[in-house]
Amino acid sequence: MSAEAHAHGHADGHGHHGHGHHDEGFIKKYLWSTDHKMIGFQYMFTGMAMALLGGFTVYAFRMQLAFPGISVPGYGRVTATDYNALVTTHGSVMIFWVAMPVLIAALGNYLIPLMIGCDDMVFPRLNRLSYQIFLISAIVLIASFYVDGGAFGGAWTSYPPLSAKAEFSLTPKGSTLWLLAVALEFVAFLLGGINFVTTVMNSRAPGMKMFDVPIVVWMIIIASILFMASVGPLVAGAVMLLFDQQLGTGFFDPAKGGDPVLWQHLFWFFGHPEVYVVLLPAMGIVAEIITVFSRKKLFAYKTVLYTAIGTGVLSFFVWAHHQFIAGIDPRMANIFSVTTLLISIPVAEMCFVYIATLYGGSIRLTTPMLWALAFIGEFLLGGVTGIFLGASGADIYFHDTYFVIAHFHYTFFPIAFIAVFAAVTYWFPKMFGKHMNDTLGKMHFWGTIISFNFIFIPLFVLGARGDHRRIYDYRHFPDLMKPGMQDLRILATVALLVLLAFQVVFLANFIYSLFKGRKAEANPWNANTLEWHAPSPPPHGNFPEGLPTVHRGPYEYSHPDRQDDFWPQHLAGDARSAQS
Amino acid sequence: MSDTAHAPATADHGAGHGAGHGGGGHAHTNYVKIWGILLALLVVSVLGPMLEIRVVTLITAFGIAVVKAYIVVKYFMHIGIEKKYVGYLLATMIALMVLMVGGISPDVLKHDGARWENVAAKKVVTEGQAKGADHGDAHGKTPEAAPAAH
Repeated sequence: MSAEAHAHGHADGHGHHGHGHHDEGFIKKYLWSTDHKMIGFQYMFTGMAMALLGGFTVYAFRMQLAFPGISVPGYGRVTATDYNALVTTHGSVMIFWVAMPVLIAALGNYLIPLMIGCDDMVFPRLNRLSYQIFLISAIVLIASFYVDGGAFGGAWTSYPPLSAKAEFSLTPKGSTLWLLAVALEFVAFLLGGINFVTTVMNSRAPGMKMFDVPIVVWMIIIASILFMASVGPLVAGAVMLLFDQQLGTGFFDPAKGGDPVLWQHLFWFFGHPEVYVVLLPAMGIVAEIITVFSRKKLFAYKTVLYTAIGTGVLSFFVWAHHQFIAGIDPRMANIFSVTTLLISIPVAEMCFVYIATLYGGSIRLTTPMLWALAFIGEFLLGGVTGIFLGASGADIYFHDTYFVIAHFHYTFFPIAFIAVFAAVTYWFPKMFGKHMNDTLGKMHFWGTIISFNFIFIPLFVLGARGDHRRIYDYRHFPDLMKPGMQDLRILATVALLVLLAFQVVFLANFIYSLFKGRKAEANPWNANTLEWHAPSPPPHGNFPEGLPTVHRGPYEYSHPDRQDDFWPQHLAGDARSAQS
Repeated sequence: MSDTAHAPATADHGAGHGAGHGGGGHAHTNYVKIWGILLALLVVSVLGPMLEIRVVTLITAFGIAVVKAYIVVKYFMHIGIEKKYVGYLLATMIALMVLMVGGISPDVLKHDGARWENVAAKKVVTEGQAKGADHGDAHGKTPEAAPAAH
């Protein structure tokens, strides 16, 4: 453990003797820190910055789709090459540089040591290295915009032969930089995942048994394991694709005996578990919030846990449903249809468990709770529409239409944004010691949720009418310019502008609350988990009064024998003797 | 000192903090030596398939991968002290490998369908089989034993 990690003023089982805090310079404190909280913030703010890039790219290409040929304010005219690069960057950035770093790396780093009652990650310098590699990956991706040919335009799935040959992609350097950036990002998350798993296995507070670990921590651990188990084939595939691009090999080139569908297999063997890599932490966040704001014990803790593990295992058996129209063996399509429909069962089970948790609860519609409830509702819509795409017969029609786009965003937007907004509004008082403004928070919530639905419901309709997703200028396709279709594209785009505008409310609230927000006490929500035992914000080392001891599970709300409706994990004694 | 040297002792039912730093008495692994072994195995796994004997190809492609995974799990992941977990991890890795290869092989080894044909791939496979047949004859083997170049 680094010198910094020893700097907190308490003695504990690590041999950390109280040698007090010492002043650190700006660079040491904010840029070169090994403190898990600071690394969490680094991931979070980098993720937020990348979300601005992802938001800007979608603004530019949706404007082109709604108003083809116009000069987009703030961007200019979107050429066909630009369009490809913008779509590719939007997808790549939102998945690899927003959802993953914020949901797993930022929240995992910030929450895991606090929620399991330890002072830091077990590998703090590895943790710092993880962020530094991630930052380099983001820089490499952004740099690809400025090389000859511009940024990669072969979609976030990078299918060869388009991605393998410069004469097809027209981005000889951009495509290689994209691959390099993704590979670096994977290295960063491998390091982070190893750290998360080891920390939870080794550094839980005394008394914290495995079933006392909060669900969100479990979810991040399961997600980390899924990521580590699935990413290997894609990294190997990425190296092969790099060789195809730069050395002229033919792993994925049919003209040289290669097989482009092999890349699709390698990509989706990682890509579908990846959906659950980001879904599970989001599910965990929602579990934490709905228990606190319904003042109820989580319904069936072990069921949620085993269901999450089952979902993770099943997620390795569904990948080829992305390839139903890629010419795969029809017998495989049957098998993967069945497994895909099967995986909806555990995910639905988790949603039902959450609804059962809410049932009969004393529900408080705070801003984080609104986000958590919205997550369940919106994600269910995404899940239900996935049934159509999981059935190979229906998918042949829906594939590559805007129906897929709408389905995907009804799953990913709740994961990457709704759950993240729930988490940020819920843990903001702990992170920064200030409350967020509730009025602005609710304004942001309603503005975002309503406009989100106005973006993607029209896309479901368009997709069902056969609107193909890979068209740059619909004026060239009169069949897709039928009455009403362009109106729906304009409606979706205007709704996107409204959604983006409401994110200004969030940013304003975030910055305003950071400096002028009402001061938050240690446990403003009367929650049970250990992070609320630490001061707000927690100092270096997290628990200045010594590491806590755990006496019970994390969801003891409204216990019939207690006067208080919560029962923190660290409080000793039985129900009657330990009134807080 | 490495990060790992500071890792707290293995938690026993969550009571990891009270035990202070674990270990300390065992000799450090020679990581450079382990790396050298992995590198040598990599070379073997590249050279093996060049012999174009199916059994040797399978052993060098998958068998050596398992050995390398075992070495990584045992030494680089420091799980050698928990022997049963080495087994669990290896079993999981082999299961995933079987799943992936089993899922992909029927598809990528198929070069035609109802309305399509991968002419280039078929040509390479035919050439590979012809070469393999010559090689097989030389070793007294049947042409079917030739590896499918793909």
